[in-house]
Amino acid sequence: MRSGKRWILGGALLLAALLTVVGLAGCGNSSTTSDQNLTGKVSLSGSTTVLPPASEAASQFMDIHPGVQVSVQGGGSSVGITQLSQGLVDIGMSSRELKSEEQNQGFLDHKIALDVIVVVANPGMTVDDLTKDQVKGIFTGQLTNWKDVGGADAPITVVVRDKASGTREMFDEKALDSQDSTTAAIEANSNGIVRQTVASTRNAIGYISLGYLDGTVKALKYNSVEGSKDTALAKTYPLSRFLHMFTKGEPQGVVGVFIDFVLSERFQNDVVAREYIPATEL
Amino acid sequence: MTRRDAAAVAKPALNSEWIVRKTLFVFAMTTVLGIILVIFFVARESIPALRQVGWSNIFLSATWNPNVSNPATGHYGLLVPLAGTLAATLGGIIIGGPLAIGTAIFLTQIAPPRTGKLVVRGIELLAGIPSVIFGWIGLVVLVPMLARVTNTQGYGILAASFILGIMIIPTVTTIAKDALETVPEEYKQASFGMGATRWQTIYKVILPSAKEGLLVALILGIGRAIGETMAVQLVIGNARQFPNSLTSVTSTLTSRIVTDMGESTGAFRSALFVQGLVLLIMAMVIILLIRLVTRKTVKAA
Repeated sequence: MRSGKRWILGGALLLAALLTVVGLAGCGNSSTTSDQNLTGKVSLSGSTTVLPPASEAASQFMDIHPGVQVSVQGGGSSVGITQLSQGLVDIGMSSRELKSEEQNQGFLDHKIALDVIVVVANPGMTVDDLTKDQVKGIFTGQLTNWKDVGGADAPITVVVRDKASGTREMFDEKALDSQDSTTAAIEANSNGIVRQTVASTRNAIGYISLGYLDGTVKALKYNSVEGSKDTALAKTYPLSRFLHMFTKGEPQGVVGVFIDFVLSERFQNDVVAREYIPATEL
Repeated sequence: MTRRDAAAVAKPALNSEWIVRKTLFVFAMTTVLGIILVIFFVARESIPALRQVGWSNIFLSATWNPNVSNPATGHYGLLVPLAGTLAATLGGIIIGGPLAIGTAIFLTQIAPPRTGKLVVRGIELLAGIPSVIFGWIGLVVLVPMLARVTNTQGYGILAASFILGIMIIPTVTTIAKDALETVPEEYKQASFGMGATRWQTIYKVILPSAKEGLLVALILGIGRAIGETMAVQLVIGNARQFPNSLTSVTSTLTSRIVTDMGESTGAFRSALFVQGLVLLIMAMVIILLIRLVTRKTVKAA
């Protein structure tokens, strides 16, 4: 009986210790340089490519400014731009430029990142330049052997991103003219895994964001142009796009503070630079 | 009088015992509640896809082509990952089943105590290795090896089967060992007494009388293999085509879910929950199978 009581006491102590730890951890979280003075609401909608960094920005921003409510929704670039022009949201997220009919509404463009995609191959491949048609043929499954594009006689292993990724969206749209990639392609859900798979699989080809390019894979020229920040900015390299946040006129109050936060050195380097070329380097 | 005595004796113990009993009851109920909530939640999240894109689009189609900007117009056929799951699981059982049951026979019938202990420790260690480690080893060691040997990319059903085969060994061996240990010693002695060799005894007496238990072990192994996610996702290739050979890339239900769940929305996300629901139903069927098998044993006894 005594041991039973001791058991309960021990359990209670353990529980108390656990609660204390959890409680302290909770306190620690909310006490990071929070600014109680700013209040208000910011709403964003639009591109699913801009969604992940925007959601990350929203949660970090709300940690710093507990009085501010930031809501982020997807729906696609067109939805974001339409809702912005209707005044339903404060910020429209877009992974494409404005169409001609969308201009003249006084939208202000905040470029938050540059997205550049590079076609990469296993280092053992002899090919180092592919035309747009060759890339399209390979990734849609029409060309299945490296000898079709000037390489050795070996079957091509195609590696693509998962369907929900913005990288795949851009690649399908710009390189494949919105066709679907081959069903035989290996699918990986991050730039890192695509790079690893291409690096370790013979005869493999794939595509990754420029920020992930390293010596383990071989970057291929696209239409004889090397993918880089400079060629993308000069518009000679087509597999690139800006990620935008549009506002109606100069952003006011808390919306302006939020945009400044997204463009800040800290957020750009910590979050945006993981996938893209940060706006601070443009 | 006697009753009051009993009460007097029982009373001091009652408090602590009552607390322990109620606490354990609450723990048990939490588990049950958890399972009910999981089933409810997965079923609820599956409904939008079934409503928006229809049953035939999901259950009778092999086309997986989600539409990200307008999810309700995508194609969410689950036949390819379903076939992949069945193929990889079958492969895993074919590779791992004999190994695991062989190990169990060795442990219970043949191994000297010290060797047996070593093997048991090894299997316990195997059970404790996180599945992502198996997947990683599969990705950097097994896949390149298979690529060299088979002269293909190395990814696919065969790689997944090898990984699953090893991963189910602890489950199957442990249960099979228990089943073999329950075979009465008299059976063995009687068999030896009639002049049977050790192998004849194992093959003709021990295995048949432990049949149901071994079957349960294999079924549990199948359950383990069906649900395995990370290890399989890394080596199967996640391609959207049917497996047409042992080394062709394909996907499984779990690998499809984990590949696509990140940024999916609407019917796309919901279609992934439908695949989860299918996995849940498969798990329930497996439990049902085990109940059927064991019920027969009880009846026979």
